[in-house]
Amino acid sequence: MSTVRYILDNWGTLGPQVETHLEIVAIAMAIAVAVGLGLGIGSARSARVAAASLAVTSTLLTVPSFALFGLLSIWVGLEDPPVIIGLVLYALLPVVRGTLTGIRAVDPAVIEAARGMGMGGAQRLLRVELPLAVPVILGGIRQATVMVVAIATVGAVVGANDLGQPIFSALYRSTATTPRILAGVIPVAAIGLLADGVLSLVQRRLARGRVAVGAT
Amino acid sequence: MITFDRVSKRFGEVVAVRDLSLEIASGEIVVLLGPSGCGKTTTLRMVNRLVEPSSGTIRIDGRDTREMDVNLLRRSIGYVIQQVGLFPHRTVAENVATVPRLLGWDRARTHRRVEGLLDLVGLPPGQYAHRLPSELSGGEGQRVGVARALGADPDILLMDEPFGAIDPLVRGRLQDELLRLQQVLHKTIVFVTHDIDEAVRLGDRIALFSAGGALEQYAAPDLLLGAPASAFVDEFLGDGRMVRRLGLRRVRSARLRDPDGQGVPATAIDADATLREALDAVLGTGDGRVAVRESGRILGIIDSESIREAVR
Repeated sequence: MSTVRYILDNWGTLGPQVETHLEIVAIAMAIAVAVGLGLGIGSARSARVAAASLAVTSTLLTVPSFALFGLLSIWVGLEDPPVIIGLVLYALLPVVRGTLTGIRAVDPAVIEAARGMGMGGAQRLLRVELPLAVPVILGGIRQATVMVVAIATVGAVVGANDLGQPIFSALYRSTATTPRILAGVIPVAAIGLLADGVLSLVQRRLARGRVAVGAT
Repeated sequence: MITFDRVSKRFGEVVAVRDLSLEIASGEIVVLLGPSGCGKTTTLRMVNRLVEPSSGTIRIDGRDTREMDVNLLRRSIGYVIQQVGLFPHRTVAENVATVPRLLGWDRARTHRRVEGLLDLVGLPPGQYAHRLPSELSGGEGQRVGVARALGADPDILLMDEPFGAIDPLVRGRLQDELLRLQQVLHKTIVFVTHDIDEAVRLGDRIALFSAGGALEQYAAPDLLLGAPASAFVDEFLGDGRMVRRLGLRRVRSARLRDPDGQGVPATAIDADATLREALDAVLGTGDGRVAVRESGRILGIIDSESIREAVR
């Protein structure tokens, strides 16, 4: 009960933090999807590109977020920018892997037919491969979004005014620590679940007739 | 007309097609036949440049295919494969409209063409146009595959074991339908199969390849079966050679016997049936005599002796 009271009493501070959090995640995901799709398509075309981009993006995921945001803040300054860049780097692997897996899962007979009918590379990609891979790509985007929503809280250490703020504020206090932490965690969980739900709905809508959606 | 002029194809060390010279006349069904690894599919795929020859020239109506834009060349040639390869996210109508759309046909013309093609392959548009490929049976799927290949009314149709994955009953029906379509369309059809019966049934001419991509014989089915050019051809066509040949001849072509005093047998067969069917009927009767009928009239009697004479 005290948590609910805390959230209501402090909505003036929390509201903008929710907004910033959503903004950071949205911008980071938009960039990650654009870059990740590009890398994924390149990976599907060339084994060398695939090996390199999977190696780099999975290594990025092993860097602790504290360290990554800290390092990035030295180069690009404090607040939102280092957080956005860091989140993009974390989100790349699921998006790249989803794109690569989705394109590779397209039935070779379908590609053969497309080539045989005189579709060029770009036409095959846009009219056949990507539309068929969409459910798997969305699966990657979904995974990345949920992950990034949670990691964004760490951005508070470099001064991003997001939902990490109430959580970190609890570290230096002896009173109301639990409500403070929960005031950050509950909205983060809600945003994560909501994003996951919406994306999985879209994913299922688009699955009709396309590459089977693996268990995610 | 498709002309292969001393065409070879090597994949690394392996020779898939060896020094092939072959002419495929317009309006003919030519079957490329042979065991697996004989280069028949490679030969087919060189026509629309899905495989590029290592040496030699392929011409279509005198034009070297290498001088044409590869995608425009492919759009001008129908292509049907065993696995069909329909676009699973597109409806039947959208699949059939693929090449017309690539060629930039307007909506009305494409729509008319799609409806006409679906009718042609025996799939009423009202019932099938808006289905997804996942809602079709194997036979229906391949009919859509054929309709899609005919999309922009190409002169040439390449078919790579199109009925190979379809159960025998439906396969026979699709073979009949292809022959019926050909009566109307007069396309130049290159058809790959390893099934001798299919080759004999469909081919105006058969090109028989042996392993390593050597052309062993190129002849009409009757000649191939009647006069094998090499030991390989003889062996490949196997024991059923003469019986298969019977499948090419009509009962009306045999010299029929008069009923004499023995009367007209109860078993009868149509004059348009094949001699193979006649032999089957003859073997099934007690005295080996079968009446030959044409629109209710008895033309004569056929027996094993008259069948034997017909293929000698």
